[in-house]
Amino acid sequence: MKTLLTGICLVLLAAPALGQDDDVSAGRYIAQLGDCAACHTAPGGKPFAGGLAIDSPFGTIYTTNITPDPVHGIGSYSLEDFDKAVRRGIRKDGANLYPAMPYTSYAKVSDDDIKVLYEYFMKGVGPVPVAAPSSDLKFPFNIRFGLEGWDIVNRPAIGFSPPFDDDRLNRGAYIVEGLGHCGACHSPRDLMQAQEGYDASSDTFLTGGQLGVWAVPDLRGPASAPQAWSAEELVDYLTTGRNTYTAATGEMGLVVERSMQHATPEDIDAIVAYLKAIGTPPKQADDALAKTDETTAMLTAAQPDMPLGARLYLDNCGACHLVDGRGAPRVIPSLIGNSAVLAEEPGGLIAVMLNGAQMPSTRKSPGALAMPGFGDRLSDAEVAALASFVRAGWTNDAGAVDQETVRRVRGQL
Amino acid sequence: MARTEKKVDAVIVGLGWTGSVMGMELTDAGLDVVALERGPDRRTVPTFAYPKIADELRYAVRYDLMQRPADSTVTIRHHAGQTALPYRRLGCFLPGAGVGGAGVHWNGLCWRPNAEELRLKSYITERFGTGLMPEDMTVQDFGVTYEELEPYFDRFEKIVGVSGKAGNIGGRIEEGGNPFEAPRSSEYPMPPLEQTYDGLIFEKAARDLGYHPFPKPAANASQAYTNPYGMQLGPCNYCGFCERYGCLNYSKSSPQTCVLDALYQRQNFSYRPNAAVLRVELAADGKTATGVTYADAHGEEVFQPADLVLLCAFQLNNVHLMLVSGIGKPYDPSSGEGTVGRNYAYQMTGETTLFFKDIAFNPFVGAGASGMAIADLGLSRMDFAKNGFIGGGYPSSQQTNGQPIHNLPLPEGTPRWGASWKKAAGDHYGHSATIVLQSSNMPYRDCYLDLDPTYKDRYGRPLMRMTFDWRENELKQAAFFKDKIAEIGRAMGADSLTAAYPSGHFDTRPYQSTHTVGGAVMGADPGTSALNRYLQSWDVHNVFVPGANAFPQNFEYNPTGLVGALTLWAARAIRQDYLPNPGPLG
Amino acid sequence: MSDDRAWPTRRAVLLTGTATLAILALQDTPAAFAQGAQETITGYEPVFFTNDEWIFVLAATDRLIPAEGEGPGALATLVPRFIDRQLAGNYGKALSWYMEGPHTPEASPLFGFQSALTPAETYRTAIAGIDAFCRDTHGKPFADLTPDDQDSVLGDLEADRITLKGVAASTFFEFLLANTREGYFSDPRYGGNSGMAAWVYIGFPGARASFREWVGQHNTPYPLGPVSIGGERA
Repeated sequence: MKTLLTGICLVLLAAPALGQDDDVSAGRYIAQLGDCAACHTAPGGKPFAGGLAIDSPFGTIYTTNITPDPVHGIGSYSLEDFDKAVRRGIRKDGANLYPAMPYTSYAKVSDDDIKVLYEYFMKGVGPVPVAAPSSDLKFPFNIRFGLEGWDIVNRPAIGFSPPFDDDRLNRGAYIVEGLGHCGACHSPRDLMQAQEGYDASSDTFLTGGQLGVWAVPDLRGPASAPQAWSAEELVDYLTTGRNTYTAATGEMGLVVERSMQHATPEDIDAIVAYLKAIGTPPKQADDALAKTDETTAMLTAAQPDMPLGARLYLDNCGACHLVDGRGAPRVIPSLIGNSAVLAEEPGGLIAVMLNGAQMPSTRKSPGALAMPGFGDRLSDAEVAALASFVRAGWTNDAGAVDQETVRRVRGQL
Repeated sequence: MARTEKKVDAVIVGLGWTGSVMGMELTDAGLDVVALERGPDRRTVPTFAYPKIADELRYAVRYDLMQRPADSTVTIRHHAGQTALPYRRLGCFLPGAGVGGAGVHWNGLCWRPNAEELRLKSYITERFGTGLMPEDMTVQDFGVTYEELEPYFDRFEKIVGVSGKAGNIGGRIEEGGNPFEAPRSSEYPMPPLEQTYDGLIFEKAARDLGYHPFPKPAANASQAYTNPYGMQLGPCNYCGFCERYGCLNYSKSSPQTCVLDALYQRQNFSYRPNAAVLRVELAADGKTATGVTYADAHGEEVFQPADLVLLCAFQLNNVHLMLVSGIGKPYDPSSGEGTVGRNYAYQMTGETTLFFKDIAFNPFVGAGASGMAIADLGLSRMDFAKNGFIGGGYPSSQQTNGQPIHNLPLPEGTPRWGASWKKAAGDHYGHSATIVLQSSNMPYRDCYLDLDPTYKDRYGRPLMRMTFDWRENELKQAAFFKDKIAEIGRAMGADSLTAAYPSGHFDTRPYQSTHTVGGAVMGADPGTSALNRYLQSWDVHNVFVPGANAFPQNFEYNPTGLVGALTLWAARAIRQDYLPNPGPLG
Repeated sequence: MSDDRAWPTRRAVLLTGTATLAILALQDTPAAFAQGAQETITGYEPVFFTNDEWIFVLAATDRLIPAEGEGPGALATLVPRFIDRQLAGNYGKALSWYMEGPHTPEASPLFGFQSALTPAETYRTAIAGIDAFCRDTHGKPFADLTPDDQDSVLGDLEADRITLKGVAASTFFEFLLANTREGYFSDPRYGGNSGMAAWVYIGFPGARASFREWVGQHNTPYPLGPVSIGGERA
């Protein structure tokens, strides 16, 4: 019997045991903030061995093997080669990377951070001697030469100029605009699929985007989460994927699980402070025109002659989200004021109704609470009626969803 | 042996309540732990997902989440003069199978015993003298006191997340709680569940009769809750699909809702479902276990070596494993020798249905553990000499599982089929309320467990044989409570009532309770117990057996609260006393 | 004797086959896409029961839960279809039960089921024996007896006043009664409780499973009709 520790043993950090270097540890943290694993670790695959398929309007891009294997990974890369790839989007052989790799955000990463990140990938990650599949883009996008042109138009300058007088806000800016590459999803994209704006000086930066069928929320307007929620609620959301109002699922759930839950409390505070600072606070509006809630009473009375949407709510949703639509804090998202419910493009709401959703499992909140999908149980017409109901029920006031939209989204999932 | 797995520090047999809590404790201590669960993997989504779980036929009638007798069962006889017959179909008790075990499909009643109940033999002797107990009644003390266990009850209740109202906090009697309970160090983690109408009528009637009703302590969350592991419960929606079902909205406490995602995060923990442990392997001198042998999903035998073996299966299976593995000496009632299998006990239950043609109840509305109870007739309150029996119980209101295949009570004399039956079903569904009895069961020399000489399971192991019947003591007790409950029913204003209470031999057919206890009991005396007060086997020091098998008799309350406290208590002993110095503990 | 039974007599089935039977479109699509589909038992082709057995089961279940009076009967709710499917599946084969010998079917009933026969075998053995008994005593198979005579036979089976070969009458009867009740009240996905009519009759909301706001509504009958697991509404 080995000698055993008493008390709590810190075996919770899921890090490979290679390399005890301080730089490697520091680099591991940078990799978590940058969420390299999000793309470079395929589901069920070895860490950073690539092979994740990313659908783009131009075809399928496969992520690369960035383990230190000398043949199939980046084992032969010098620090300069690594830097050029991460911050400039240029491969060791000189070819341009597809901007699915968010090098336009990583352009802001500091020299020091690039250095420790390099140490981590060279010494802290196990080499995987297996090639990732080649990307499969449609002509002419499979010719990387064209990326040079894209790059000239869209690439921001290398390096980070602190925009604030405050260290915490600058740290937040550094993470959000750089390693966090939040703009990659949360900013609109132009026709060339370039991110519209790379920092808060741009009016469009972090004002919302589209990821497949999902509308990605705005982070700066008066109704946005950073403006509407308290700092505590934002911290809870980022570190556990859930708060009093809602929960993260899908891609954002993965961001929480792989990246944000590992950030230090100071870095989380900095992110939250920055996001609050760059947005427009809500006005102290009078509530005279606010919608009243008649929905709860109608659902409670459960009369047989209720409209179809309400009936569908009681048959499918009420068991968890309850008749007041508020669910339960940190356990079941509220449907009231919920950005996924109310988004102008309702694809995310439809996706959740059809396929369900799941919270990430995090150290602080390990429960990966899940919602089942109802796609087998509801026709397109029923999904449309139910979605329309929740979007306009209680104090919600968003537009109806039609059957054709549901049919289209179902086909895309 | 087909193959041998890599050795671990500890192997846990069974991933239910005790296995998952023990898993947290041992991984906290830095051990490499593997848990082997004979049944399938189970998660809230998809296994208990809404609406598929709201399926009375599949779960409440065909028992989809339970142990299949085809895989594992027992034989039963009333006395040694009979040939025991296999329990071929599930009936009176419903053991679970699968990750989460019975912790998935229980109702969620989470009680503590009274202090006297943990030292019942001493208590009876002190209060009533040595002559009151019949000579074949083998009541014993647990070997651990309520005061020693109080912090562990407290911690288990917080892990579970119990909704209730304390009646005695540090000696101070609290309004609205059970004034007779043993003192608690803190209030319940959540306020009590809201009561359905039947519970309020019961409460008033009970109070009018001079009783002290209080809400049952419920492992059904009354509101959103986060436990010490960071695991979360949502508020119970009174869906009515509780016992026999998994919970669809994270509000019933179970290993899934309270422990497992936290446990699965740990690098030093892994588990294998569809791994049926066949026996514990012992070293040549029999003093230690070397690990366990299990049948994997393909039926191949696998040896899992380990330094520490935790039998965390259901009570029946724990005892069975000890018997087939040769851990401890099997009990022989005629000689009185041996300890493994002795002191098997059950639970004396009953049910009174009250009919009210002028009241509309909605019987499908209910939480598993909501309802009002009275403890005035509990073990620690009864005058055994005056009553003519040794025992106590708690009557309570119960409205749950109001689904019509298995729960459509009809007045006395209603035909079982035909036009009259159909009319009665329509007339009476929704117009009845229930008072249930749960009461104690004393142990007897001739109520015990051993191995069957004839019948085998699918792995070729002898089935365990249960020799058990009701004794005069328990039948008198049942009759006593039947009358007391009828009185409450009349005070509630019922038009009529029907009563179902055991009055003869033990009937294996109707569901009564899954609280089978004993068989590998804990105690201070190795002559009459299989486990010491830390639930360590007296005979094989690296085997611990937390479970209701440790109860030397059954008290009136549901066992899970005590089982959980004993598990945490044993875990502390393992971590602080056993691991630094492996060997028999004091 | 009135002949307003919903199913054809034995002779009619043999002579006319399915062509003249009522239309039945058994929908296998999710219920949400088939709200309000009407079904009748006469259009169902059993997969387990033989023709003779099927006629018996139709007649017997029709007495256990008759059409008369308020609320649907076993035939309107397609209970026999439920039983047929159950016996063809795992339940019929007793896959979950311990079926190893030796068997002691004459043991005290307190020890529960001890037969060597699966439910499927029990039905098969018993129905043949019951029809033989009815021909011996009444000159006709069970399905052709008067309803009163049918009730007598069922009562005698229940009380073991009839001796059958190879199976105890009451063992069979208890299966039949239990399966009839199950077929009446289970979710429609299993083939019975057609249109959730039995649930509507007694006021059981089916798979709704969501009542937090109803705990405090005392002495108020719940007004909303049921939903099935598949999403059918009533």
